[in-house]
Amino acid sequence: MLGKSFKIVEPRRFDLYLDDLVCAPDEAVVKIEYAAICKADLRYYLGARDKRTLGFKYPMNLLHEAAGSIVLDKTKRFQVGERVVLVPNIILKDKHDCEHCVCRRADLGENYCPNAFFASSNYNGFAREYVNYPVDYLLKIPVNLEPRLATFTELISVAISAYRRLNLKGDETIGVWGDGVLGYILSTTLRYIHQGKIVVVGKDEDKLRQFKAHAQYLAGDPKIFEEELQIAYECVGGRFSAEAINEIIDQIVVGGRIVLTGVAEEQIGINTRKILEKGLSLYGVTRSNKNDFEKALTLLVDEKYQADISPLLLKELVINDITDFYRAFEEELGNKRLGKNVLRFNL
Amino acid sequence: MNIAVILAGGTGSRMGIVDKPKQFIDVYGKPIIVHTLEVFDNHPEIDAIAVVCLSEWLDDLRILLRKYEINKVKWLIEGGETRQLSVYNAVKTLTPECADDDVIVVHDSVRPLVTHKIISNNIAAAKQYGAVDTVVPSVDTIVRSVDGESIKEVPLRKELYLGQTPQSFRLSLLRLAHEKARAENNLNSTDDCQLVLDLGEEVHLVPGEKLNFKITSFDDLLLLKAVIKLGKTEML
Repeated sequence: MLGKSFKIVEPRRFDLYLDDLVCAPDEAVVKIEYAAICKADLRYYLGARDKRTLGFKYPMNLLHEAAGSIVLDKTKRFQVGERVVLVPNIILKDKHDCEHCVCRRADLGENYCPNAFFASSNYNGFAREYVNYPVDYLLKIPVNLEPRLATFTELISVAISAYRRLNLKGDETIGVWGDGVLGYILSTTLRYIHQGKIVVVGKDEDKLRQFKAHAQYLAGDPKIFEEELQIAYECVGGRFSAEAINEIIDQIVVGGRIVLTGVAEEQIGINTRKILEKGLSLYGVTRSNKNDFEKALTLLVDEKYQADISPLLLKELVINDITDFYRAFEEELGNKRLGKNVLRFNL
Repeated sequence: MNIAVILAGGTGSRMGIVDKPKQFIDVYGKPIIVHTLEVFDNHPEIDAIAVVCLSEWLDDLRILLRKYEINKVKWLIEGGETRQLSVYNAVKTLTPECADDDVIVVHDSVRPLVTHKIISNNIAAAKQYGAVDTVVPSVDTIVRSVDGESIKEVPLRKELYLGQTPQSFRLSLLRLAHEKARAENNLNSTDDCQLVLDLGEEVHLVPGEKLNFKITSFDDLLLLKAVIKLGKTEML
């Protein structure tokens, strides 16, 4: 079947493609209904990667946070019309037992497998009318969950993935640096899955006030040290991530563990002397896998959790054609509020 | 029920190809009619499909339905000598098996770029109004000439639309329109909406899309091939 698709072909330039969908025996056709734009999508949109990387990526469909409905499933796992979220991190069946062997490790998993495909990174994303997708990587949206809110499943799964990276006892005091969407989702999610105290650190007082953590601090506040943070998550990214990481290094207890979640395009300078002196450990996390998505959906069934997450949903932007799609990217670029717009595809 | 009637009775005389009708021409590994049928077959609101086809191509069509696993086709109907007769044959076939208020979505097999949105809007509007036509506003100025040599008039562009398909109707209304036309010996209409208008009924407009164009000439075929860029660009 032919379907419309928007591919980025050069910085700030989308082209309309008509793709022919050919379903493999283990795939279903999904009509994309809702999606959200991620920071990585914005980097591709602006061309904020090195030229050679972009040369390998373009042309490509962006977007990896999406929900849709089943149009055709010859495997019979899903009914036509059933709402699903799409897990963007996929591993082809014959690649599960590769030489890297991280897929079955609880602290790592499929999202660290070098053979994995990730939609809108090394695989076409969901900026299209329809996608043929492996049924193993489609998850049914519970009936009490609005499909547009389900677009947050990906970010919640990333928070869950970041949590399982460390094998925590459950009572540690955790600091989350970053007053953006991921910082909000991580600190909110920790309130539901972790018993210890949750502290957030950021620069925007108005945004911090909206956080669900036990305590909020402006960056640089000397009282952060009194919280005796054993664990810290950096959710800042970009050019300010060095500042955040160095503050964490200063504020965390001796022997503390630091998890880095933000992407900085440039190499950044961090205080390695203090890392050594305090015996700190740094962990990297990226993306999430199907199990994390399943846990995210379980959380999202909880109406209280839904109520905590839904303030992040700012506006619903209807995408009738490619000009609306351009507008949505430009609007997200200028978005300074806590939250993101959801794109409703009406192609 | 919502039933699609796909018209595949044309011979494609304007294409120059003599060995097959235009709807059976292959475009990137699939005949045009299969591209069209797949859109309807995968549409969740379409319950069944009737294809009106040239009698000598019915077997070829059966083979294609099997090969491409098009499952909703319930009726294969022999085409008539004219478009009007083809639609009338479909109406006759469907009448004993369908309800009067079932929606009939009539579509050209050679408009493969019809979208689910257009079909959904047709169904919703046909249920509400009884008869709808898919149109796009005319971006070109249209001139009217009677003798083909000089302009008779230049109608106001903002009042002009280009008719596409689908055209969708409540079955009872479509049947009535065709029966009246036959009774009045009006047998060569190219447009079912005109027949409904002749009944004194209103026909509402549904927005179409420029890409939902009809493949009638080699230029159109070239355009179709140009716009279908197969998505084989994944970095593996």
